[in-house]
Amino acid sequence: MVPLSQIWTVASYVLSKKIKGEKRYPLVLMLEPLFRCNLACAGCGKIQYPDHILNRRLTPEQCWAAADECGAPIVSIAGGEPLVHKEIDRIVAGLIERKKYIYLCTNAILLRKRIDLFKPSKYLTFSIHLDGLKEEHDESVCREGVYETAVEGIKEAVKRGFRVTINSTLFDGANPQRVRTFFDEVMSLGIEGIMVSPGYSYQKAPDQEHFLQRNKTRELFQQILREKKKSWKFNLSPLFLEFLQGNVEYDCTPWGNPTYNVFGWQKPCYLLQDGYAKSFKELIETTPWEKYGFRSGNPKCANCMVHSGYEATAVNDTFGSWKGFVKTVKAALS
Amino acid sequence: MGEAKKSLTGESFVFGDDVQKRELLEAAFDYRGDVTLELASGEKLEGYLFNRQLDRTPYFVEMFVAGEATPRCIPVDQIIALHFSGKDAADGKSYEAWKSKKLKERQEESKKIESEMKRAGLLD
Repeated sequence: MVPLSQIWTVASYVLSKKIKGEKRYPLVLMLEPLFRCNLACAGCGKIQYPDHILNRRLTPEQCWAAADECGAPIVSIAGGEPLVHKEIDRIVAGLIERKKYIYLCTNAILLRKRIDLFKPSKYLTFSIHLDGLKEEHDESVCREGVYETAVEGIKEAVKRGFRVTINSTLFDGANPQRVRTFFDEVMSLGIEGIMVSPGYSYQKAPDQEHFLQRNKTRELFQQILREKKKSWKFNLSPLFLEFLQGNVEYDCTPWGNPTYNVFGWQKPCYLLQDGYAKSFKELIETTPWEKYGFRSGNPKCANCMVHSGYEATAVNDTFGSWKGFVKTVKAALS
Repeated sequence: MGEAKKSLTGESFVFGDDVQKRELLEAAFDYRGDVTLELASGEKLEGYLFNRQLDRTPYFVEMFVAGEATPRCIPVDQIIALHFSGKDAADGKSYEAWKSKKLKERQEESKKIESEMKRAGLLD
């Protein structure tokens, strides 16, 4: 279960923003301290850069400044592979000092070797990238044996008392029954919950043909989540899961998950790259937000249903009205 | 999703007019390799062009020049030519190409990446 303190932090943050009448506020800072990765997955468009860019790193001070500047209660450290960063422990420690809830996204190849750098904390969650059972995951990350390494890392982290979640991206052709079996298998490892999202086409990802289209996404998630098992815990808003199944309709909240990396604040979101702003304020004030999201008609956003765009919408819905809150409770209990 | 665009790697352009200049600088922003900008001063800058402001004044591009810690901001009116000098890191790495490789080749490629990372001190 997500700790109550985290739920309370997010709820009070959202409510305080609403009371203040702030229209656009961040929920999760996507922090990319480097682009270098020790994998080259076909579905990833984050790592296609010249070497001198892949060798750049955000300093811990830059990471903390970004977290302070944007003020989101949750920081998702992505990349690239964050455990390749030589000062990742300092980055994490500084964010914990700031009482940020951190999701350290990792492929877990280095997790067993680097785990001594970290101490269990309610603020720190290892979010392990697993795209399915061994066959699917190893294919997705383009390397044999990664699934088994990741599972070893999960077991070690769980044994040491860390919060651990799975972050799973599903691509076209995913087999619903295999995904259900995958959910059973990862929950049996003692993890806190599952994050799952349909993949979406990074403009530069090698794989442009296997990202799910909107109607296919709904069909897939209806099949996966039909007769949802009680043993499956999701680290996602219940309303986001309803959205994936087509039971509620949402538009994107691209400012909900702003991205900061070696280039600055990425416009407009984690997936699209339309330039960079020097400050969070500049990002919020100069990005033409009306040009992004499903309802904008922007073809780049047409099929996106990714959690980085829609989870914030679901959370806003939950805390935006009693009706939304009741919907969430119903969805959680269904 | 459609046919692959022809890579711009190796192409050079001297701008004919402002419209062409804007289009080519936009392509340079989209390009995942280094480019070389020739300036009116005669200076040539090679690096990764990661940002641009071409829709409102002041018009500029931003570039990480290899070996320099901080990015340079270059006014568009100072740029007279553009060369796609570096290899496009996103080119030729399609999923289909990856799939069509034999398992042994994929494993070899994967090991190559792993050993390169170890040599660079980026992996234990």
